[in-house]
Formats: sequence, C-alpha cells, structure tokens
Amino acid sequence: MRLFKLPPQILRLVLLTLAIVGSYLAARAMLTPPSFGQYGWYRGAALGEIAARTPVLAGKKACDECHSDILHKLAGDAHKTLSCEACHGVSRDHANNPDILPVKATGSYCIRCHEANPSRPAWLKQIEVKKHYSEKCVECHLPHQPTQTQ
Amino acid sequence: MLGEMTNIVVEALPQVEGYVFPNETIPHPLWSTLIVVYPYITGLVAGAFIMASLVRVFKVKALEPVYRLSMLTALAFLLCATLPLLCHLGHPERCYEIMMTPHLTSPMAVFGFVYAWYLMAVLLLELWFDFRLDFVHWAKITPGLQGTLYRALTLGVTDVSASSVGLDMKMGRILSIVGIPSAFLLHGYVGFIFGSIKANPWWGNVLMPIMFILSAIVSGIALCVFVYQFLTWLRRQTVDMNCLDAMAMFLFYALVVDAVVEGLDVLHRGFAAEEGFAVMQTMIREKLFYTLNVGQITLGTLLPLLMLGSLQLLRRRVPEAARRTMIFFSGALILLGVLCMRWNVVMGGQFFSKSLRGVMSYKMEFAGQEGWLVSAIIMCLPVVILTILVKLFLSERLPVTEPPLPGHSKP
Amino acid sequence: MKTSSSRRSALVKLGGLLAGVLALPVARQVKAAVQQVLVTTPAPNGYDPTQHKWLMCVDANKCIGCGLCAESCKRENGVPEGPYFRTWIERYVIPKPAPGSGQTRGEVQVDSPDGGIHGFPELSLPKDQIEFSFFVPKLCNLCANPPCVQVCPVGATFRAPDGAVLIDPKYCIGCAFCVQACPYGSRFLNPVTKTAEKCTLCYHRITRGLKPACVEICPAEARLFGDMNHLPADDPLQKFYEKNRVEVLKPHLGTEPRVLYAGLDKEVR
Repeated sequence: MRLFKLPPQILRLVLLTLAIVGSYLAARAMLTPPSFGQYGWYRGAALGEIAARTPVLAGKKACDECHSDILHKLAGDAHKTLSCEACHGVSRDHANNPDILPVKATGSYCIRCHEANPSRPAWLKQIEVKKHYSEKCVECHLPHQPTQTQ
Repeated sequence: MLGEMTNIVVEALPQVEGYVFPNETIPHPLWSTLIVVYPYITGLVAGAFIMASLVRVFKVKALEPVYRLSMLTALAFLLCATLPLLCHLGHPERCYEIMMTPHLTSPMAVFGFVYAWYLMAVLLLELWFDFRLDFVHWAKITPGLQGTLYRALTLGVTDVSASSVGLDMKMGRILSIVGIPSAFLLHGYVGFIFGSIKANPWWGNVLMPIMFILSAIVSGIALCVFVYQFLTWLRRQTVDMNCLDAMAMFLFYALVVDAVVEGLDVLHRGFAAEEGFAVMQTMIREKLFYTLNVGQITLGTLLPLLMLGSLQLLRRRVPEAARRTMIFFSGALILLGVLCMRWNVVMGGQFFSKSLRGVMSYKMEFAGQEGWLVSAIIMCLPVVILTILVKLFLSERLPVTEPPLPGHSKP
Repeated sequence: MKTSSSRRSALVKLGGLLAGVLALPVARQVKAAVQQVLVTTPAPNGYDPTQHKWLMCVDANKCIGCGLCAESCKRENGVPEGPYFRTWIERYVIPKPAPGSGQTRGEVQVDSPDGGIHGFPELSLPKDQIEFSFFVPKLCNLCANPPCVQVCPVGATFRAPDGAVLIDPKYCIGCAFCVQACPYGSRFLNPVTKTAEKCTLCYHRITRGLKPACVEICPAEARLFGDMNHLPADDPLQKFYEKNRVEVLKPHLGTEPRVLYAGLDKEVR
C-alpha cells in the first residue's frame, strides 16, 4: 500500500488541525451541561432552578384559611379586588406561623391609593387629604367594607 | 414629601434630561470604554492585514518592504483582542460557554470561531509559510533559547528546496486570498452586532457593518504607516519613499470611500428623519459634540483628506521630508479619528433613552471594571507585544533569506 | 527501509487505537465527574412547561399609580435597591395646548420616579392646565419573537415552552447584549449577580398555582394574568382581550409582544 505523499508542511499542519479540532470536540462534549437542548437552546434544568425560589408574598388564598369571615365581608364591598397584603404587607411568615403578626395597616395607609391625583382614573374614589374630615381614615371608614361607615 | 422624593431622585440618577426608562438610569453605561477599544483593535488587525494582502494578492510590489511589519502588527493586536471582552464580562470564568454552546442566531456567538479561525488558520499560518525558510536558517545561526524557538517554529519541516519554498509561497498567497473575507468577517461581525440591534436607532441600520469595515481598513493602513515610520526612525534607517507613497495613496482612497459612506449615513438619517431623529440630534449636540465634530470629522477625516489629497495631486513636487511629515501626521490623526468614531458609535447609542424622550450623562470612571485605566493598559499591550515580535522576527541582525530559484535545490 | 518505516507507522497507528479504546472508560468517568459539578435540580414536581401558555395583560385605564406592583415585585424577587426594575409605572401628563397654537395638546411630560415603587408625588402642574393624565404599568412584553433571546450568545436567555421569557442565572456571562437589544427597557444587569435580569412572570409562583406578585397585589385589577390552556369560565383575562381594542408596545419592530394593553395613547413608547 503506497501512502499518499503529502508535502511535510501540509502533513504537519493537517495533524495539528486534527489535534486542535479533536480537543475542541472533546471539550465541547465534556463542558456542555447535560440538560442543554432539552426544550431548546438552553439548559432545561434552568426552568426547575428558577421555579425553585421560595415565594415571598403569601397570596389572598392563604389568608382565606383562617380569616374567611373577613374575606367574605371584603368580597361584598368595593375593596373586593384588594389582596390582604396590599395593606397588611407581606404576610408569608404570618401565614406559616400565626404568632408572627403581619404589618398592620396604619390609619393613613389609605392615602397611597386614594389621594386625589389628576392622573388617577375617575372610577376611583379620591379625596384631597388636606380638605378631608380627618387624617385618620379609620375614624370613620371600615377598611374591609369601605362603603359603610363606623 | 415632595422634597424628599426629589432628593431621592436626584441622588440616585445620573444627569438625565427628559424621560428615560428607569432601568436606564444606571450610573455607568453597560458598554463602556472596553467595548470602544475592542472594535478598534480588531479593526486595526483587519486593516493591517488587508494592506499586507495587497502585496500578495494584488502584487503591489511597492508595499513589499512593509509586508512583514504589517503582518506582525496585525498579530500583535490580534493577540490582545480578547482582553477587552474578558474584562467586560460579568462572568469571565464562563467565557468558554460561547464556544461550547454558541447560539447561532446571535452575531456575538460567532466571535470564538471567527477569532480562532482568523488567528490560527489565516494569520499564524500565513506568517508561518512566509517565515519558515528564515526559521530554518535562523535556527542554525542563533544560539541558545532563541535558536530553540526558531527550531520549534519550523514545526520540524526543514526542507528548503526550491519546490518546498515554492509551496510555501503558493500557500501564503492562497491564505492571503482566504484572509481578506476572513478579515472582513472578523471585524464586520462587530459592526453587525451593532447594526442588528433594531431597538436602538443609532446602531440598528444596514450601513453599520460597512462603516465599521471601511474605517477599519483606513485605521489599519494608518497604523502600518505610523509603525513603519516610527520603526525606521528608531533604527535610524531611511524610509523607502516608494513604499510610503504607495501606502499614502491607498490610505487616501480608502479614507475617501470611508468618508463617503459615513457621510451617506448622516445624510440618510437627516433625510428620513425617523422617529428617533430628534432625540439623536439632541444627543449629538450635547454629548458627542467634541468627539464627533472635532475628533472624528475635522481632525480624523477632513485634515487627513486635505493632506493626503494634496499629496496625490502634487506628488513628487512636494519635497520628501514634507511628504514624510504630512503622511505621518495624517496617519496619527486618522488613528485618533477612528478611535473617536468607535466612541461615537458605542457611547452615542447609550446616551439617549429607548423611550426616545431623554438623554443621559454618565461619569466615566478611571479605575474599575470598565474604567479608563483598564482600556489604556489593553491599548498599550499590543505595543509591547509588537516590540517583542519585531525583536524576534524583524531583527536587523538576522538576515532575510532569499528563496532559492526553481531548478536549484539546496541541501 | 520502506518496509520498516511502514511497519513502524502501522504499529504506531495500532498503539494509538488501543490507547483510545483504553482511555474511553476513563474519559467517561472524567466526563461524569465534570458534569456532576454542572448537574442541577430537575424541573419542579408536577409542572410540565409544555402544558401551559401564560398570558399577562394590562388595562392602563384601571391603573391608579399606587406603585404597589413595582414595590412588591422588588420584594418578591429580591431585586437590589437602585435603578433596577423588573416592572415599573410611568405617568403621562398631557397639558392643555397653548392658546392659539393650533395644537391639540401641549408638550407631554413623562416621569417614573424610582420606577413608581413609592407611588407618585404631586404634580407641579395645576389641575386646570392638564388635558388628561394616566398611568401605564410596564414590564417584559413576553415577545413571541424576542430580540433579547435572539442576541444571547450562549443560550442563557430563552423562551420557555409555556411562553415565559426567562434567564438562566447560572449560565449568563453578563455581556449585556440582551439588555441593549430589548426595545422596551425591560432588562437590566443585576449589580450583585452580574447577570442579566428581568421579569420572570414570578415563575416560582405561577408554577405553584399562585399569581405573579404584581397581579396579586394590584388593587385595581389593572394587571390580568392567566393560563390560556386552562381558562376558567368568565375569566377576566378572557373578557379583557375579547372585549377591548388592545394594543402592544412598539409593534413596528416586529418583536411580536404578547402582553396586551388597553388604554394606551399615542405618546406611550
């Protein structure tokens, strides 16, 4: 069998090329993460990792477990679209352990949404705090049933 | 309450005029001086290589004296090209990912392969074929470690017969031909990175890769002029005026084409006056005034055009010393101008908001991940490397071997 | 001479082959060890991303600019303090035109102080000079043809089968190409993790049957969310896109945003 006679330059370079390409392919086989390409051009395991984060907000449904009476009142009045945590703050710790109290809404927290502002849509009941009866909203209003008064 | 609010706003934001998206009110731009330096370096590489290719591909004999110097200059800069990118990444330790799982819809993903191809298959290979004969002879006459280096660089191929050297020259020519589109790809993809961002009207247009390549060619030739004149001055040799005049001629015509295309970009923007035009005008006027009007246009384009153009018109009527000075300063000004162009493109795109309603100012940091200091060091490194390369491969003490004529075989 | 050199070369070839065969199990073990380092937790139990199609819609007519969504998003997702927002609210104030100018509107003023996480301060413009004003919540538009995914060089950001556009924080190299490519300014580079970050649709909540934090907390039902594959009867989300003339942001860029807006205006970018 006669070997195909390559000039020495070409032979050396071909061998070198094969070595470089070979080591690249080997590196690629070793360094590509195993779940890569599972759903697309990304690590499939990333979906699990991103979803593994612990939620911070408890959510309205969590409050329903113990406070269903308040939620029932809420559902019948104008604040029915509010989540408990909108006023009472993040309450996951409280949901897990009722001894830990949530942040209680202060009397003037209502201003955050109800302060009169020309950018706010007309359907929202707005008041000009300075001209309103009192600075402490709960003196007259029931937060869970806002259309009723004390 | 309002007072407190405005205090928070003023302290947290950089200088902002108009409305910018909250995510854009960061203290430093995302793509800073390092991303200005990277296209500058690859542009110099591509340009220097293309000028060197004129010798091998288009057989411009006048440029022969500067062929090896241009190739070594290209190599010195190419070796440093990855540094700005590595320094810029949030996670440089993950840089291998770009070659392991390149996302081929992204222009940036081709970087690893284009760079590897250009470095190994084009530049180093062409240099090897050109220098192999000399490596064989220098290995014999140089003692010690340097001699071992030359021997190693022959890759064991010590055949210096006419046919072998003839093959070297043929391969060198083929690689030069292959190298020209490769050089376009090496630098063109960077222009395409910017040109493909449709979200940013300053970057996202079809002329961007073309402007990048043309200004790269201009900067590369200017760099070769600069390095050649500097090296001959350092060695107290006389410049080959034929060579220098030829370089100046190519530099002039390349600059004309580049200036025309960049002018076309400006003209088209003004003519079409699309949605972002107003905010971009504000941005240019307030943020890019000096780098664009003074740096890029006046100093970097108009002055060199005048000097080189007059040389083309008057030619030999201008005395040699004056020609040398004019060409040198044109080269230096062009190098400055192209750096300004990279700055204007990269930073200009970040000085206005994607809301097209506002303009941001940033404080450039000195030290820090993307500060001036890192970029300055990276710009100086190729000079250091080039010095070493010149000492090793363009030494005055090492004679350049004449290739044997065909029909004669040397043992 | 020729016979011995060809025999030698044949022996070399055989030796190489043998070495390769012997090295294979070793190589496999090394590969497993390397991948052990890279292997991470599998998909959440019971959640199959191919079975859901998430959708978020925004009714800007309802937004009251309280900023609770932006604030709770920061808290829910641990977003660092500073100019880093996965969602924010913009206020548009359109003053009355100057008399005799022939314009229908004065120069629009847009602001988003700290993304709106503390609500909005009083307007400096008196009420009678305002033609009208409104709020627009902004977030990742969950594009079907996302430019951010297109430009990621390593495949660290992607569109999951359920429609969420996510970022893999363990794979992102922090080049910020995606941040530049997003036309909506929805992305940012997290200064702590040095990776790109953006709204994940509270992926960790929706995969457990909860709602995203911003949707949960919004008091005005300005944000609507649901699974197109499992919409209950009379779902507000369905009513929203069936009954409203909906718009998307920057449709001319061809990103095909999936977040539908009602109540936008020509001034909204």
